[in-house]
Amino acid sequence: MLRRYLAVVFVSLVLGLLVVFQFRTTNQVEQSVPYDRAHELTVELKALAKERAGLEAEVRDLEEKLSRARLGYAQAEEAIKAEVKDASILAGVTPMVGPGVRVLLSNRGTTTPQGAIFAVRDEDLLKIVNELRAAGAEVLSINGQRLLSTSEIRLAGAYINVNLRRITPPYEIIAIGDPVALRSSLEIKGGLVETLRDWGIDVTVETKDRVIVPAYQGPFRYQYARPVRGPA
Amino acid sequence: MWLGIFFALVGLILGTAIGLNVPLVFPQAYGKYIGLAVLAALDSVFGGIRASMEDRFDDVIFLSGFFANALLAAGLVFLGDRLGVELYTAAIVAFGVRLFQNLGVIRRHLLKK
Repeated sequence: MLRRYLAVVFVSLVLGLLVVFQFRTTNQVEQSVPYDRAHELTVELKALAKERAGLEAEVRDLEEKLSRARLGYAQAEEAIKAEVKDASILAGVTPMVGPGVRVLLSNRGTTTPQGAIFAVRDEDLLKIVNELRAAGAEVLSINGQRLLSTSEIRLAGAYINVNLRRITPPYEIIAIGDPVALRSSLEIKGGLVETLRDWGIDVTVETKDRVIVPAYQGPFRYQYARPVRGPA
Repeated sequence: MWLGIFFALVGLILGTAIGLNVPLVFPQAYGKYIGLAVLAALDSVFGGIRASMEDRFDDVIFLSGFFANALLAAGLVFLGDRLGVELYTAAIVAFGVRLFQNLGVIRRHLLKK
């Protein structure tokens, strides 16, 4: 008899338990994601995962393109650097080294720069520089002043100015080029060096395997001149 | 029979009390299973009341029926979820029909007296 009631008690206990559980679960519906919504979200998640995979593929593709573009950029940079290097060489803002000659001119035993007739004049330096240029000198400097297209060699008072800087004897002209050709163009019979020596100026011409011509130090200023654009 | 109803009430109150005091909440996905278990239990309870009225109550049949019905219903829910067919409605209909049948029989027994 007791067994019967135990069974009844058990089943009704389970019933009550389940009803309460279900009640509480249903009460939670508002607080948590509904079951159908979870389904919906799962579908959405799958779609988004697919989309994400597509976007990742796109990212990879774009990164590849970017790295290729960067490669091109690096090459362009390299080219520009090379061009800048060339331009700075042509502009004379780079110290240059190479074989060449060193010409040294000094006044023989002069004590006062003004008094000597046989002092080195600006014209003498100009002639030597011209001669060296004609003989194929690529880079020139006088007493450390780099000679550019804008450089002047002129008498300013008692001194000679190069690149607006005063230079004093002894004058040292350094030229890079074929040393033999440079030297022979100066020391040709009846040439410049002979004439200068006749005038009483000490001129020495040394050929060297390695001379260094310094860079132009001064500023570049173009106030009026500007490049021509298009057909002039 | 009245003693049976008394014990059933005792069990119900006990179960409710335990359920309210256990801090356990089933996930939403198990809602169907619990609902069907409730149905199975209700079916067993009404079946038991009817059987006791007909004086052929057997606790073994009662309990085995409860468990077998609950398990079959749960199995149907599970299978339905896998197949994408709402099979548990079959269990709901079967339990529902039986509930009303049992209720009808119980009503008649009570009215005959």
